[in-house]
Amino acid sequence: MPFSERQGEHAISLVLRYGSLIATVVMALGLGLMLAAGPANSLLTYHRVALPALLPRLMHLDAAALTEFGIILLLLTPIFRILVAIATFALERDLKYVLVALGVLAVVLLSISFTIEG
Amino acid sequence: MPNSATQFFAGLGVLGVFAGTMGALLGIGGGLIIIPILTLVYGVPIHQAIGTSLCCIIATSSGAAANYVEHRLSNIRLGMTLELATTVGAVAGALVAAALHREALAILFAVMLCYAGGTMVRRSLKASATEPEATASYTIRRWPLGMIGSGVAGVVSGLLGIGGGPIKVPIMYLVMGVPFKVATATSNFMIGVTAAASAFIYYSRGDVQLLLTAPTAIGVYVGASLGTHIMRRTPSRWLIRLFSAIMFYFAIMMVWKALRGGFAG
Repeated sequence: MPFSERQGEHAISLVLRYGSLIATVVMALGLGLMLAAGPANSLLTYHRVALPALLPRLMHLDAAALTEFGIILLLLTPIFRILVAIATFALERDLKYVLVALGVLAVVLLSISFTIEG
Repeated sequence: MPNSATQFFAGLGVLGVFAGTMGALLGIGGGLIIIPILTLVYGVPIHQAIGTSLCCIIATSSGAAANYVEHRLSNIRLGMTLELATTVGAVAGALVAAALHREALAILFAVMLCYAGGTMVRRSLKASATEPEATASYTIRRWPLGMIGSGVAGVVSGLLGIGGGPIKVPIMYLVMGVPFKVATATSNFMIGVTAAASAFIYYSRGDVQLLLTAPTAIGVYVGASLGTHIMRRTPSRWLIRLFSAIMFYFAIMMVWKALRGGFAG
């Protein structure tokens, strides 16, 4: 069955909706745990969590790790959106736009790698 | 920082709701609202304010575009094509940054914004009854000019550190003949990707702070959902006037920043 333009739009819309919704809920959980944990000045003790430590701390429902994870999910949503766009254009057999979307992905990844190295 | 953590989070949340609503309505990221308030009211260092703002632009874009794509307001193919021009422009801008005089560029840009804003106000006053609504069918005109304009928008936003929304919307609306609501919805769809490229950079430098970003982004998400509902019920001519007002504000900020030598860094 050929993949229609409407289905493609629906898929992209779903990624955006659930990506941003899940990120928001995870961030809210993290902040909620921080507030529940104690007095205001203790907020200053919450720091960024280094990536290797993130997963173990997530398992323990660590407040800072949850918040951090929510932010990472938020940052990844647009990248997922490009990936899904590439897939849906491919399913629609629209080669021109597969190339356009691949081009966008390439430039975005390039600009990220540029600055991380520099 | 205010004493109470709840108060602190709530303040950022309210800021986020406002920025998210405006962003979803007009197809702009909301950085113009978030950055000045974080730096001036909360005393946040500028790089952390930009890091927060970039994350919030992604939240606005994802939250609003989910709705606009589903309702076929965002034109995905138009958006992706212009995205390509903008991102290439942004990289090119970064490469030629040293050769350009940023203050002069900012003032030139402010003049262009005022001209585009003026054109839009005039058109909204003259043709208020005939302004096509989003659902009307439209033909995209002047693709090459639109692509060049988006490339320039990428260069400018890369150099001056501003979001592309205030440039992309007028290009689509005035140059390419796209209905205003489709232009703002498509801009909303695009800005998340543009912001993500920079956001990772700020994130890796440690300029995305948990306690600033999370509460603001949550507010933005709520605001963006609110904004999409308001947008679909508001006549285009009112959105155009609101957008023009934002463009004039933007122009004033640019000139002010240029005169203070704010682009030196």
